[in-house]
Amino acid sequence: MIRKSFVLIAALAAALSLFAGTASWAGQSLMMATTTSTDNTGLLDYLIPYFEKETGIELKWTATGTGKALKLGERCDVDVLLVHAPGAEKAYIKKGFGKDRKEIMYNDFVIIGPDSDPAGIKGKSISDALLAVKSKQAIFVSRGDDSGTNKKEKLLWKDAGISLPDKEKWYVQTGQGMLASINVCEERKGYTMTDRGTYIKYQSQKGGNAPLKVLVEGDQILLNQYSVLTLDPKNCPNAKYDLAMKYLNWMAGENAQNLVRDFRLLGKKLFIPNAK
Amino acid sequence: MMTARNRIFEIRNLAHSYNGRPVLLVDDLAFERGSITGLTGPNGSGKSTLLKLLGFALKPSQGEILFNGRVQVPYSRAVRSKVTLLTQEPYLLKRTVFDNIAYGLKIRNRSADLASHIREALDLVGLDFKEFSQRRWHELSGGEAQRVALAARLVLKPEVLLLDEPTASVDVKSAKLIRNASLQAKNTWGTTLIIASHDWHWLSEISDRQLHIFKGQVVSAGMENIIPGPWAPSDLPGLVERSLGNGAAIKAVPPPTPGMTALINIDHIHFKTCDTHDDSVDENHLTGMVTRLILERKTGDILITLSIHDIQLTFKFPSNTISNLELFPGKTITLCFSARHIEWI
Amino acid sequence: MDFLLSGFIKAIELLISGDSYTWSAVAATLKVSSISMLLSLGAGLPCGFILGYFNFRGKRALRTVLDTLLALPTVFIGLLVYAFISSKGPMGSFNLLFTLTGIAVGQTILAFPIVAAITASIIENIDPGLKLTLISLGAGKRNTILTCLWEVRYGILAAAVTAYGRVLTEVGISMMVGGNIKWHTRTMTTAIALETGKGMFSNGIALGLILILIAFTVNLSLSFLRKK
Repeated sequence: MIRKSFVLIAALAAALSLFAGTASWAGQSLMMATTTSTDNTGLLDYLIPYFEKETGIELKWTATGTGKALKLGERCDVDVLLVHAPGAEKAYIKKGFGKDRKEIMYNDFVIIGPDSDPAGIKGKSISDALLAVKSKQAIFVSRGDDSGTNKKEKLLWKDAGISLPDKEKWYVQTGQGMLASINVCEERKGYTMTDRGTYIKYQSQKGGNAPLKVLVEGDQILLNQYSVLTLDPKNCPNAKYDLAMKYLNWMAGENAQNLVRDFRLLGKKLFIPNAK
Repeated sequence: MMTARNRIFEIRNLAHSYNGRPVLLVDDLAFERGSITGLTGPNGSGKSTLLKLLGFALKPSQGEILFNGRVQVPYSRAVRSKVTLLTQEPYLLKRTVFDNIAYGLKIRNRSADLASHIREALDLVGLDFKEFSQRRWHELSGGEAQRVALAARLVLKPEVLLLDEPTASVDVKSAKLIRNASLQAKNTWGTTLIIASHDWHWLSEISDRQLHIFKGQVVSAGMENIIPGPWAPSDLPGLVERSLGNGAAIKAVPPPTPGMTALINIDHIHFKTCDTHDDSVDENHLTGMVTRLILERKTGDILITLSIHDIQLTFKFPSNTISNLELFPGKTITLCFSARHIEWI
Repeated sequence: MDFLLSGFIKAIELLISGDSYTWSAVAATLKVSSISMLLSLGAGLPCGFILGYFNFRGKRALRTVLDTLLALPTVFIGLLVYAFISSKGPMGSFNLLFTLTGIAVGQTILAFPIVAAITASIIENIDPGLKLTLISLGAGKRNTILTCLWEVRYGILAAAVTAYGRVLTEVGISMMVGGNIKWHTRTMTTAIALETGKGMFSNGIALGLILILIAFTVNLSLSFLRKK
């Protein structure tokens, strides 16, 4: 009896693996690396079915940090990128990894902090706010993970003429995602920079009574530009350049731009389309 | 006489060692087909190793073992299920009693009439087929497990049955059933039995021959006539002695090489029931109480065990040489022999 | 704390409603763990057996290497496998990146040392009386080996269960090699990571509970086998 049952289990497992082996995709499909913000906000889940329906191309995506997304493209493991790090993207094309870059949409970053605002940054310009944080030695939480958001934050310090804090006691580098970092920030009653989408999520989780409030916003430098990037066929001859171009053009097209404009996260607008 | 034809086993220049430590050294030894051989000797003397080698469960470090006139090695077809070994602590396969006994038959593709063979084997060891055949390996007492293990070997109708202390750790009833079943195998199928045991009575009663193994060597005389060590240099020049714990000692001429075993040559032993004095320095007088007298039925020899202070010594005499001594357990006697008559092996 | 209760309720809802997103992750998890278990058992049992049964030069060194491999972090294995199957890697032409097969390869590397090391020590610790008994009952070499394996089946089952637990719960390999692609390579664990990243803590709890339920079912059916 026992022997029979063992054989049965082995057979079942074998059948399962066969089933798994046949589950590969036939037909046109495109592999994209993107940043967690587009995935976590639900934008892609909302948008991509329209793309697949209109073009017949299946789009699969893996959501990771911008750094890893660019790396995946460089190694030709994906066909197209949707990222938000304009500086790095331009350098990427220069190095011969990327070919076409199309700006699609933007959202913005905000500085949040406790209602009590110990450093008194509310309403200040971004540079003044950061200077105030530094001089008051107020807690500032950073992602510290070299993600697109983290890159942006570093840029803000540089722009304010402050050398990048690292080992300072008041500068907390979490190495985690945005939401986890906001939670750390709340626990430590500090300030942090976040994309607005994640902040909206955080706010809704707290039932509209979030201890952390938006204190600085609207500065031109706080805009967060998303672009579609195709890969240079010279570097990646096997990447599906033609399908990637179709995707790029579709995203920049009127239909997709309207869809982006209509997208709501918890009832709030998140992305502003700006394809030219 | 043992002819070449009726030798079931022959050992030639056998030496076995574990991790470089020699444990058994047998130059030349044969076993007669259909005979019963008793193996005695202290724990760790090499009995189990000899049985494992004869059972072709071990490959000897040196030398060879012939079975039915041909050199054989572990796993060779000529010995499989013909030579079988039962160890002191039986190992039962993790299945039912029925499947344990069926195992040996199944791997030989003798699956016909399985149930009746197993019923027969269980009968031999006094276990009821209906009650026991479907029990699981862990649902048996120690004695029952040992009997199932024996049944698993008997069902093969083996040519040789090697038993290593088969009754040492079982209850009285199981021991008796095991003894009977082993004998019945010999009587029914002519199975050759080689039995290692501390049960002197049993061995002397049934065996055709007894071999004593001591420190890895076969002492043909049997377990008797050996004086265990330790031997230390004596105050007397040119002698060694074995202290008896009360100031007295057995004196002997020193062994050619250290570590050898002392054996009394009984032909030179004199009995004295009263004290007379022979004052030569190398004369031994051993006074002790007779604690055991056993008749070895096959040979007619008598085994006498003497308790001398803190040691027990056993001597074997032909019955006629001691018939006039009127020995009985509890009687005190004195043995006299020269230090020169202790031989070293 | 509030999300624990809502997570529990959500888990029941997801199971009852047959939520296709959840089931796709469950299916991916089962497929990939089955393949990796088959592969790691197929390779690990013989290797463990050889290491435990035979004596040969360098055996100790091999055991030490194997025991060290037990400590491989999943993220590291993920990175290692990625390096090989990335399209610029030596095995790029097999197109294994972002597939379940790719994850299975990584999980096999994770589970193999567990299966092999536990099997080896089980075989090493086999009662010496077993081999003696089998020889005494007339077993040849092949039968001796097969019966030895069968005798320690419960121990080997435990090795498999341990390895399965590790494979079922790892997230590093699935994330790095699989890419957490919705409907394709999103497994239970990467889905939990994603939901947590999105701040949907109760969803994460729900998926976690379902994963535990899977593990429980597997172990329950194995313990049923054991009893018989």
